[in-house]
Amino acid sequence: MYGVFFVTGLAMGALYALSGVGLVVLYRCTGVLNLAYGALGAAGAMLAWQLEQWAYPEPVAWAAALAVATLLSFVYGRFLAPRLAFREPVIKAVATLGFALVILGILNYFWVEAPRRLSLSTDDLGLRMLGVRITGTRVLVVMATLLMTLGITLFLNRTRIGLLMRALASQRDLASMLGVPVGRVEATAWLISGLLAGFTGLMFGDLVRPNPGALTFLVIPAMAAAVVGRLQSLSLTLAGGLVIGVAESMATLVHPIAAYRSATPFIVATLLLLWLQRKRRLTFSGQD
Amino acid sequence: MSKPKPSFTPWAKPAAAALFGLAFAGSAAAAPKLCGLDNGKPATGAPIIVGAVVGKTGPDDFSSSARTAKAYFDCVNANGGIHGRPIQYLIEDDQWKPEVAGQVASKLVKDRGVVALVGNGSFVEMTVNAKLYEQQNVAVVASACAVRECFEAKNIASTNQGPVPSNISAVQWGVQHLGSKKVACIGLNIPSNGVWSCNLTNEWLKDKGLQGVSVLMDPGAPDANSALLEAVASGADTMLVSLPAGLAQAFLKAAQEQDLRDKYKWISPTPLYKEGIPQALGAYWAGKVHIAIELTPWNGTGPDAKRWRAVMDKYAAKSDPRDTFSEAGFVSANIFVDTLLKMDPKKIDRANVTAALKAVKNYRSDLLCGPWYFGNADFHQANHASQMVVAEKDGFKSETGCFDVTGKYFDKIRAMEKAEHLTGN
Repeated sequence: MYGVFFVTGLAMGALYALSGVGLVVLYRCTGVLNLAYGALGAAGAMLAWQLEQWAYPEPVAWAAALAVATLLSFVYGRFLAPRLAFREPVIKAVATLGFALVILGILNYFWVEAPRRLSLSTDDLGLRMLGVRITGTRVLVVMATLLMTLGITLFLNRTRIGLLMRALASQRDLASMLGVPVGRVEATAWLISGLLAGFTGLMFGDLVRPNPGALTFLVIPAMAAAVVGRLQSLSLTLAGGLVIGVAESMATLVHPIAAYRSATPFIVATLLLLWLQRKRRLTFSGQD
Repeated sequence: MSKPKPSFTPWAKPAAAALFGLAFAGSAAAAPKLCGLDNGKPATGAPIIVGAVVGKTGPDDFSSSARTAKAYFDCVNANGGIHGRPIQYLIEDDQWKPEVAGQVASKLVKDRGVVALVGNGSFVEMTVNAKLYEQQNVAVVASACAVRECFEAKNIASTNQGPVPSNISAVQWGVQHLGSKKVACIGLNIPSNGVWSCNLTNEWLKDKGLQGVSVLMDPGAPDANSALLEAVASGADTMLVSLPAGLAQAFLKAAQEQDLRDKYKWISPTPLYKEGIPQALGAYWAGKVHIAIELTPWNGTGPDAKRWRAVMDKYAAKSDPRDTFSEAGFVSANIFVDTLLKMDPKKIDRANVTAALKAVKNYRSDLLCGPWYFGNADFHQANHASQMVVAEKDGFKSETGCFDVTGKYFDKIRAMEKAEHLTGN
């Protein structure tokens, strides 16, 4: 029985992890915690659902979902985010929240509350493991998360633009003085993040449901995974997302807490933050 | 462009009217009354202010009842109003937030001085405002109640059933027709909603020597798969999917992933009786999900069912849902208008309207399976008879006529109805 819940939790955990990776890549490069991440994915998922309804081939729906999320992310990153480049991180984050609410408002206007179902052809594939059927979508999600996290890590470590991104992440002012093309590098980060948002949105749309509100606010557990990675480490974010997903699923087996299992991301993030600051102490001059 | 004024001699006008009256008496009697006085004259007197609190923006849109009530009031206002006085209908959105629910109800009841509230539909407002309504002596003819406090309040009576009769009627039918012995009640982890209704469903099963187990889901839980696996692990033979439509659909999709359709019996209360659900569930579930509906089917052929559809076509937006809660909103608005039309228009104030509404008993409509009443009790559960439908590939198919829900929870209600002669029995 434990194995069943473990396997089931892996897919949701992988999506939390992949969303977290998308958030971390962007934050490291631009200093923006993108609260519109879920809304970008929601826009992609809703468009994919609509194209499915209009009987477009599934690859078109997939491509449209990825394209719309990437485009929205790029537009914000290229034209709006630079205007806030020198503001405090919290202002940058709140601006993305505004962007999220604009997207959500538009989505709710076009797709009013109604029964919907997004079915991808990967749902029809599947394998049996530990007595439970794992759909192709869930397998795809786990595999894609592992591969994309690995790919992005290699991209950051092995390519020139990755190097520039890391340079921006560690010393933004210094990097720009040394000639790092800030605008171009940041735009690349917004593109990558938008692409990941589109993919996770599409997968969440299939695994959860194509509902603009539900998908938009899935950014919150994703943020918990990013917090586990301290908004820096991709591997820790990956681990954090997987742990949260599996713990959330396995909490189903512990009856007194089963009904509260959706609090898992926040409990994991809070415990980790408490652990990480264990040796710090508040002093009159600030933190020592 | 104004019409040319006809020139009549003084005696000719009443005579012509009488002739017209005689000539059209037959067809007027045959034509069904649409709403209120049905005289085609717009109401222009002092408005009667009526309110509604609904959960429009939030996890689900729970405003269909008030939108229908508005359509009906618009029809009434265009047809003589309440003896010439139009109804001014103020709909407020509680946004599914208790603090907002309290603010908007206070605004309606204290600031705007509504004479009554009609067509309320919410998951939160009744819990917050039941006391306010009682203290301010304002009656609420609700239409989409989902929480315990709505049915256990002195001044609120709803035309819909709520989750307890809806759950139990589905289970009662499942036991009789599907041979259900152990039922997993999959509900929301909200004390006054899923916890309450699943507990009472489990008690009903226990009284029959059968078993019930609650599987509670957080409304914000993203993945329905865990709840499904918990339900499977309970060893139940029947799944009672007592969730809002969106989550219920996600739950059934997770079950489809596991190909569990034929391993269990699938029943549900009314939230799954919603336009678009059969198509969203797909061919896989055709003929497999049996749903208890709280009112009568949408395609009913009774006079009120026809009037409901006609009023919606003429006065509601195309996008306004034609669902169970819309029917319930229509019935609530009819009860309110019929009650006010019997009152002296000069004496329409809150105290008199509350007394008149509380005196409503044995109200019949073909949209309801049984008679409706308000009454003076501390609890109100007038609607406790259901029908069953099954989700087919492209729509719903009726499986039963009306049947009453049994069990000790309803015995005390029936005893009260009898003692106070509320249902004509």
